[in-house]
Amino acid sequence: MKYSILILLCLALSLSSCADKNDPNYQYFPDMYESLAYETYQEAEIFPNEQEAMKPVEGSISRGWLPYDYEDNLEGYDLAKAELKNPLVYSEENLKKGEELYNIYCATCHGKKGDGQGWLVQQEKILGVPAYDDQGRAITEGSVYHVMYYGINTMGSYASQMSEKELWQVDHYVMKLKAELEGKPERAFETESKVEENVENTEEKEVAITE
Amino acid sequence: MMSHYEAPIRKPLVTGDKSYHDVTVDIARPIEGRANKLWWIVFSIALFAFLWGLGCIIYTVSTGIGVWGLNNTIEWAWDITNFVWWVGIGHAGTLISAVLLLFRQRWRMAVNRSAEAMTIFAVVQAGLFPIIHMGRPWLAYWVLPIPNQFGSLWVNFNSPLLWDVFAISTYLSVSLVFWYTGLLPDFAMIRDRAKLPFQKKIYGILSFGWSGRMKDWQRFEEVSLVLAGLATPLVLSVHTIVSFDFATSVVPGWHSTIFPPYFVAGAIFSGFAMVQTLLIIMRKVSNLENYITVDHIELMNKVIIVTGGIVGTAYITEFFIAWYSGSPYEDYTYLSFGAATGPYWWAFWALIICNIIVPLSLWWKKMRRNIMWTFIVSIVINIGMWFERFDIIVLCLSKGRTPSTWAMFSPTFVDVGIFIGTIGFFFVLFLLYSRSFPVIAQAEVKSILKLSGDRYKAMREAQGDDVQLYELPKQQPLPDFEKLIAEQESQQEDVVEESGGLAEKLILNIGKASKEVADDLKRLSGVGPALEEKLNQIGVYTYNQISNMTEKEFGILDELIQKFPKSKTKFWAGEANLLNKK
Repeated sequence: MKYSILILLCLALSLSSCADKNDPNYQYFPDMYESLAYETYQEAEIFPNEQEAMKPVEGSISRGWLPYDYEDNLEGYDLAKAELKNPLVYSEENLKKGEELYNIYCATCHGKKGDGQGWLVQQEKILGVPAYDDQGRAITEGSVYHVMYYGINTMGSYASQMSEKELWQVDHYVMKLKAELEGKPERAFETESKVEENVENTEEKEVAITE
Repeated sequence: MMSHYEAPIRKPLVTGDKSYHDVTVDIARPIEGRANKLWWIVFSIALFAFLWGLGCIIYTVSTGIGVWGLNNTIEWAWDITNFVWWVGIGHAGTLISAVLLLFRQRWRMAVNRSAEAMTIFAVVQAGLFPIIHMGRPWLAYWVLPIPNQFGSLWVNFNSPLLWDVFAISTYLSVSLVFWYTGLLPDFAMIRDRAKLPFQKKIYGILSFGWSGRMKDWQRFEEVSLVLAGLATPLVLSVHTIVSFDFATSVVPGWHSTIFPPYFVAGAIFSGFAMVQTLLIIMRKVSNLENYITVDHIELMNKVIIVTGGIVGTAYITEFFIAWYSGSPYEDYTYLSFGAATGPYWWAFWALIICNIIVPLSLWWKKMRRNIMWTFIVSIVINIGMWFERFDIIVLCLSKGRTPSTWAMFSPTFVDVGIFIGTIGFFFVLFLLYSRSFPVIAQAEVKSILKLSGDRYKAMREAQGDDVQLYELPKQQPLPDFEKLIAEQESQQEDVVEESGGLAEKLILNIGKASKEVADDLKRLSGVGPALEEKLNQIGVYTYNQISNMTEKEFGILDELIQKFPKSKTKFWAGEANLLNKK
């Protein structure tokens, strides 16, 4: 009796040692373990490149999204810099969300204050990140959005990381950082009613974005 | 002298002028002999049916429940019908061994062993169905409340299907223990009779070293009584719980408060029918007609009449309530006008004919004591009780509350195959049992042999209640004590004379001593004044002398002194040595 317990213990130990850490473990009747439906990023022979995630048809527009009209070149940049305005209300809420997103996506290079002294720059992993108050660049709401959308020089596009609304929220925060670096007074928060008067024409677009 | 009174109205339970030895021989014969051709033929058929059923089970489990004839309306049919049927059959065994024990029914002793075996084998068959009717039987262990890695996800204790798990497993284990403890003295009997070393070994293991001592028997009786006391509520509760599978539902025809007692009565009804079927064959095949007499069969038929009457009353009640309730849904239940005239009319009438009409014939004593008729009725009852469960389950489900879900059920060959397989499995087990187990509890039969054996009953009848039912061992004539004493005395005188050279040799070996230095030899174990006297006559006076003695000297002493306490002498040398040192 004593031995049988010992043998059982040994058996259990030796069986459990069959599990290999470099491989997924054994399963007992994996009835609904493998998906019958296609999972987003799975491999499947039926698709081109055997990848489930396919691109939508060129030129199609999905609900709650509008194409960005400015082209990805210098003319587009200039045009956006000149005329593109932030459709979001300059509210505390939007700014706060913008700050969160900025600290996630932007601060490693641009620095928390937007002075171009991010962690990677300090570590000298990358060089040549300008501060937002750079006179030569003289960034505006439109140019910031354009750059975030398409990327510029060594900076990549962030359109796949953030939604349009989130990009505009970050835009507000970047402009705030710029103002702080330049020592300008803080911009007053706008209330909802004030916005209605000012940005009547962009309201429709915002509704579309928030949806 | 003890006298015994038994009412003369009682018929003998053991016929054929049997003695204790005859009982042993009769019961051991099937085990000690070889199986005949007929046994092998029947066994092969049963085994084939079992294997066929096993194939059907494997097919079902590996392919899916869809191979059965179930549909979305009738989700239980043959599976649960057979389950309830087999559980019901199993109930007679425990009733016979437990309830009849509590009621001190002596006639149970010839049938209880086989009835309990039947219980166990039937419950094994029943236990198959809850597993194989599962969609995913490999996860059946989830019905057990085991601590687990799903945040210790447990079972819901509200479902009668879970109660079934506890009921059936408890029932099987208690029945098994009850049966096995009863088997211990009988296995010991087979062990003690076995001639082949292999058989002796096997039955030696099975009998757990039973030696039949007084204390063992006392405890055996206590355990039997306690287990009988436990098994009786178990019998009632197990089939009650099975009936809850239906009675706690909202299905018209199922939702009925009469089900618990009615199912239990039906279980005993069908169980006794199965006992009759089996024992009528077994008494013939194994030559046990002197133990399972026509009176036994008649008594079991009486139980069938009683329980059949209860079941019949329940049918009438159900039929009446279906009408009396005024609920339109009750028009289609298994015992209603709708059922009698609907698409399942044949199932309805099969139930009525098999369970009420045919068993009524047993009210006639002539029919009750007719073995052939009993056999036929017992089979008819088992068919009828199968239909009872089928009707309850399928008829009530087929016409539920929404007419758009009304459906019919027709079984597939897999449904039928599994049922046949369980019958085959049952008989495989029972046939193996009947050739390797003592099919009658010989120890119990022996306990009633002198009360109820026809030999002893006849003796009491002829010679009165005070007749001695046993033989004393033949007494030796008492010896003539005076002569014996005289002989002894003369022997004592002879000792010294006869010893002659032997005494001198002894003294030479152990050393001389005289009366002046004598020790108290009486302190040696087994030595009294008489023996001391004799030793002194030889010349043995001191401990020192005795401690010098070896086996050889004791041998001489043995020759010198007759009636020598030999068993004690082996201690003398040591004792003398110790006394000498003091």
